Amino acid sequence: MTASLELRAVSFAYPGGEPVLRAISFTVAPGERVALLGPNGAGKSTLLQHLNGLLLPTAGQLFVGGVPVVEANLRSVRQRIGFVFQDPDDQLFLPTLLEDVAFAPLNAGEPRAQARARAHAALAAVGIDRHADRAAHHLSGGEKRLAALATVLVSRPQVLVLDEPTGDLDARARLRIVRLLQERPETLLVATHDLEVAGAVCTRALALADGSVAYDGPLDRLRADRDRLGRLGLLAAL
Amino acid sequence: MGFHHLDQYAAVESGLGHLAPAARVLGTVLIAVAAASLPPGAWLEMGAVAALVVALSRYAHVPLATFLLRATVPLAFLALASLGVLLLAPGATVARLGPVVITDGGIERLGAALLRGGAAIGAGVLLVSTTRFADLVEALRELRLPAAVTAALGLAYRFLYLLLDELAQVQRAAASRNAGAGRVPRRQLLLGVTASAATRSFARSERVHRAMLARGYTGSLPSLRPQPLDATSWRALLPLALLLAALVVSARVRS
Repeated sequence: MTASLELRAVSFAYPGGEPVLRAISFTVAPGERVALLGPNGAGKSTLLQHLNGLLLPTAGQLFVGGVPVVEANLRSVRQRIGFVFQDPDDQLFLPTLLEDVAFAPLNAGEPRAQARARAHAALAAVGIDRHADRAAHHLSGGEKRLAALATVLVSRPQVLVLDEPTGDLDARARLRIVRLLQERPETLLVATHDLEVAGAVCTRALALADGSVAYDGPLDRLRADRDRLGRLGLLAAL
Repeated sequence: MGFHHLDQYAAVESGLGHLAPAARVLGTVLIAVAAASLPPGAWLEMGAVAALVVALSRYAHVPLATFLLRATVPLAFLALASLGVLLLAPGATVARLGPVVITDGGIERLGAALLRGGAAIGAGVLLVSTTRFADLVEALRELRLPAAVTAALGLAYRFLYLLLDELAQVQRAAASRNAGAGRVPRRQLLLGVTASAATRSFARSERVHRAMLARGYTGSLPSLRPQPLDATSWRALLPLALLLAALVVSARVRS
């Protein structure tokens, strides 16, 4: 079976800078739910941006659903990966939510009526279709997160990649996002500092330290190993 | 930030609300052009155009107080900008304020400028009070404005609120540390806050661009709900255009 994600010795450095990612290799199987852990500066966000070609590696190769992430394939890769950014205000840039959610299908060349129907369905799937004609600045933080999720669910991606999906949310909004993610059938890669959220949504952990994979295995085992959590800079998250 | 009230009259049910947004934009342009085309002294026609705008605002159920409140600031700017006409236009002296001479020609031109400009401003206020911003951008697209302009307007509407939020955040952070006490420090603080907000905005624009690319952006913002000028809209625009043309022709003939 083709892996949802495959990274082979991926390295990356910003021009003139130190390496941020160092020979990272891992595979994520279809339907797998993986938490990407690591302290600030470990390279999580940089790694996520490689998965849909926002950044291209300086060495190594990436594959999404078997498709190499290279300039020529970006359109196809981005249809397979749904990327939810850390700050939903970065993701919601059009005057109404409906337009924001329909943005990807329209860019993919879908007819307007179909894009509109799919946008409504995606908003309904996250429970905020009643806000379709509202602007994002009229929504609460939790609703914005849900709307940002809808903007990628509308494309029916194979893989959902989420960067800190519950950051800054109160308990109720956090629970709402967690429940939603628990029900999603897609392959999940969730970058988070929150081990509780990771434990509720994911079964496998990938921990980064200094741009390298420092742990790759069952999340439960990692959560039980306080020494290792301390060494990885994750203990404060407990 | 709570600016939702700015959109509240866009949702009212009225004859104007059923017209395509592009028709409302065209109607506004027609009124503004007609008002600007009236010669000085055509008081009857100027009054008729102003009355038409007020009547349309009543028809659209825009509360008079809201209408006047929204027109006040642009009207004040108009009055300020028109003062030169009062002082410079030739004519018989009506009053003398020290070295300043006010002539009947100046008063006539000022009155004409205020009435014509007021009618155009009123039409603009009516437009934004009966049309949601998203529809306004769509109307401009429909009227073939360059895509870059409409895209910039759409993004500006959304991010204006974020910018205001960020400005307020930086201002609060500075105030909580007692920054800006006194006139000079306050000015320095304002400069600092503005620079900080600008830096944040640049960083955000970079992130937004990445978010757009991640969802397949290829250089143009596709339109989800085009609202073309339909027959109903044309049927409403035609009598408006004829009425305004008649007023302009009548004023020109009389002058």
